[in-house]
Amino acid sequence: MQLLSYTFVLLWVITFALYYLVPQRRKWQILLAAGLVFYVIGLKGVPVSLFITCATTYACGIYLQKSLASQRKALADCTDKESKKAVKHGFEKQRKQVQILYFALNLGLLVFYKYTVVALPFLKDRGVPTGFFEKVIMPLGISFYTLTAIGYVVDVGREQCEAEQNPWKVLLFLSYFPAVTQGPFNRFAKLKEELEREHNFDYERMLRGIQRFVWGAFKKLVIADRIGLFVDNVFMSQAAEVPGSIFAVAVALYMLQLYADFSGYMDMALGVSETFDIVLPENFKRPYFSKSVAEFWRRWHITLGTWFKDYVMFSFVMSGTGRKITKAAKKKWAVMGRHAVPIMGTMLVWLFTGMWHGRTASYILWGIYYGLIMSISLVLEANYAVWKEKLHIRDGKVWGLFCMARTWLIVFLADVLIRSESLTQAGMIYRAFLTRLNVRALFSQTITSYGISKYGFLLLFAALFVWLMVSVWEERGKDVRACLAGWPMPARWCCYYGILLVVLITGIYGGGYDTAAFMYQSF
Amino acid sequence: MKEKVLEILEEYCEEALTYDGDSMMEDGIIDSFTVINIVSELEEEFDIEIDAKYVVAENFKNKEAIIGLVERLLEE
Repeated sequence: MQLLSYTFVLLWVITFALYYLVPQRRKWQILLAAGLVFYVIGLKGVPVSLFITCATTYACGIYLQKSLASQRKALADCTDKESKKAVKHGFEKQRKQVQILYFALNLGLLVFYKYTVVALPFLKDRGVPTGFFEKVIMPLGISFYTLTAIGYVVDVGREQCEAEQNPWKVLLFLSYFPAVTQGPFNRFAKLKEELEREHNFDYERMLRGIQRFVWGAFKKLVIADRIGLFVDNVFMSQAAEVPGSIFAVAVALYMLQLYADFSGYMDMALGVSETFDIVLPENFKRPYFSKSVAEFWRRWHITLGTWFKDYVMFSFVMSGTGRKITKAAKKKWAVMGRHAVPIMGTMLVWLFTGMWHGRTASYILWGIYYGLIMSISLVLEANYAVWKEKLHIRDGKVWGLFCMARTWLIVFLADVLIRSESLTQAGMIYRAFLTRLNVRALFSQTITSYGISKYGFLLLFAALFVWLMVSVWEERGKDVRACLAGWPMPARWCCYYGILLVVLITGIYGGGYDTAAFMYQSF
Repeated sequence: MKEKVLEILEEYCEEALTYDGDSMMEDGIIDSFTVINIVSELEEEFDIEIDAKYVVAENFKNKEAIIGLVERLLEE
């Protein structure tokens, strides 16, 4: 089920009405029921893998909590430091074994569903019967709820949250319907706090939620899907026939398409959740204003970045192996040695990030590319101040713009990899940038022969300008919706209806007014 | 102890000494690489083990929180 569909809006309206009609203690049940309806309609079947993940997550959480309680009891009976250490080690070992089993099962499910499609042609080539595998459909949001569930189990093990005693609440945590297909990744403790506090109907809040939803629809339908028409046509053309400049425009627009599509979904998901008075974490903070790649990734898909940092990076660096490597590296290289483990952790995180996003070699290369850039920046960081001094570079607007442009270029080159249909096409595009740029094609009829007319481009640029203005406003710390609320009523409602009409009239719809699927849904 | 922690902070993230907010990680004052280096130095200096469970925004929200973390681990 798409967030932009009649079915979803109907589900939202019914859930909203029931949510504020039932008493406080029943509200979570309404959200759970809505989540299951959303899931069953979206999947057109029973979400077996979601139930498996839920059952194992619940059981693992309970086990970890009990083990920690037993450990505390046993430690209280110990008198000396050595016996305390031995008791702690014993319990930790048991917990680790159970957690490894849990991770293997759930990541195994994720890998199975995600890579079955990739494995099918290989199996067919080798004459393996594939009847069963051909029926396998990737469950809705499995990449999202699996990581969310793993985060919960790690948090319980680290005593950062209490294990949930009610399995249905664990199911709600994993299937909260605004966030189930594309995130944001929720932390159990935070979402639980949000779900369990008192919620009363508030007209202004409802309005704010709807406004954010419509703004998300604007980004998705007017910007992302319009750009999609052009980008899809360019990338489906014979790469050898397309001038490098057209590819450059297509990739630059693809950067915006991905951002508009994903952040548009987030606006809609957070807007829907806001109407239920449940605040979800922000996933974007205007990433294209970043002055470095590291900052870009702190502002883009924030909850995924935090997930990888907390559960992969820190787990690896602070593990026994990580510590041993750090010690050995520091011994060998006094200064550079301290970078060894962070670099290994970074490469690991980016390799996993690439594999999480896609199933092809392009995504793995994309991950390695970012891992290398981050690692090189880490090693060279200490020299930046010296180089800037030598080159007489002063901080200021020009330097800031240069840093931003540098970030765009790095992201641009990476996006060629993930948007190309194959690595061969990506190679041809890089070559086209260098050998046959043909800038004149941008000012001829060529540019309008890829699915967007001259007026389509004008409309797109107007929409991008509005988006840029809003972003600049937000970057300066302004709450745009609060500012709008301060306008006189006629002006305010003209603005609301104006945006709504623009979405309805100029949005890109398919036959029957259905919309294109969200891009991150396929990750 | 406090002076030693501040010395380590000065070496890896001078900005942390003057920062007076309470979300150093979210505010971009201290990134994950710096946290890793600070943790490694603190472990070496005070002969403590800082497990991944302690590496959370709350324990690195400002210099006082880091000092508090070291104090707690020394007492354990």
